[in-house]
Amino acid sequence: MNKGEREALAGLLPFEAEPRLPNDRRRLLKEFVMSEIRTSAGRPRRRPLRPALLASALALGAAAAVGVPAFLGGGTPAYAVSRNADGTLTITIDQAKDPKPLEATLRGMGVNAVVDYIPMGKRCSPQPRSTSFLSRQEAQHPADGRPFLIWPPGTDEPAFRIDPAAVKPGQTAVLEFSVSGDLQAAGVWANISRGPVAPCTLVDSDEAPLGPPSGWDD
Amino acid sequence: MSLRARIRDGDAEAFEALFEEMERPVFSHAFRLTGDWSAAEDVLSLTFLEAWRLRHRIDADGGSLRPWVLGIATNVARNLRRAARRYDDALARMPRGHPVPDFSDEIVGRIDAAERLAAIRQAFGSLRRHEQEVFALCVWSGLDHAEAAQALGVAVGTVRSRLSRARRKLEKLAAERQRASGWRQVKGDHDSVVRSVREESR
Repeated sequence: MNKGEREALAGLLPFEAEPRLPNDRRRLLKEFVMSEIRTSAGRPRRRPLRPALLASALALGAAAAVGVPAFLGGGTPAYAVSRNADGTLTITIDQAKDPKPLEATLRGMGVNAVVDYIPMGKRCSPQPRSTSFLSRQEAQHPADGRPFLIWPPGTDEPAFRIDPAAVKPGQTAVLEFSVSGDLQAAGVWANISRGPVAPCTLVDSDEAPLGPPSGWDD
Repeated sequence: MSLRARIRDGDAEAFEALFEEMERPVFSHAFRLTGDWSAAEDVLSLTFLEAWRLRHRIDADGGSLRPWVLGIATNVARNLRRAARRYDDALARMPRGHPVPDFSDEIVGRIDAAERLAAIRQAFGSLRRHEQEVFALCVWSGLDHAEAAQALGVAVGTVRSRLSRARRKLEKLAAERQRASGWRQVKGDHDSVVRSVREESR
């Protein structure tokens, strides 16, 4: 095909500009794809330890925020939850060892949440843990307000952002974090249950670590 | 070892380089085929998950992987629901973006541009799916006939005939719209379907 022919055809349907992803979105999607293929290749996800993580997360929320760092044993902060000016919460996890203090912190901040950490090679049993989860459509595109789990988290650091307002009275938010060998929270699955949520019993698994199996909401 | 060979052998760093090189063309192609920002993001992610799954099919020898990757993107866009089912678990972890992306400067910042985009979608939508795919690959993504044939797994002659059918249809559509709007085309002035659509709507 010569240049003239292509130009003639292009002139029939002229796209004025190339649709392009914003840089931060492109970076997030690349991270997502690379993390998935590294997991599928059987290698642990690598995420460098970031000592500066907590400090920057607190700085992010500092404008309007209450920072709640939690310490694991000695002086190492295990996680932090900060409230942003728009009412959302930013969760940063530095050591994904025990999910229950984070769960308690979230409850203390008014989020009726169940939090679990899922190590490599494990998953929760039973799955799905509720018979009354919101469908994916309802969870990602709620009729009012924001979804519970908000992407991107609005920071360059590995962090998770949630909107407490998405959890209505009587509902329970479920957060499952996959955890790499170095105790970093590598991925998240979240949904909201209208009814009771089964506790997570970790079982060996070579399936995807987070959330219900394929087709659960078909 | 070539990039092709490294990817075929499961080298994630080489694959990351492929992502860097091909992200823009794949996203553009996906957006033009689907006309939907969020669907194009899904196609982008699924294309690379598929490429990784199918990496053993890569020949160690050969030129650019561009036709191969764009071929996968075309298949994914065509069967988005099926591809999404295969990667159901992964997609549940995919970071979700804002429903309205920040691309105001480039595409829909001006209402005028949004109208033009809608008109392009309408005219493009009048083509059969196979014609759309060949048009998008050859005209918008710049593949030649042989590369498009490789991308789609069809004969070069098939690409040529689909493309010429698409061209005839679009030219006919442009002429019809111009007649309907009473808009006279100056001899030799190749105006677009889109222009005519907009003239008509005034």
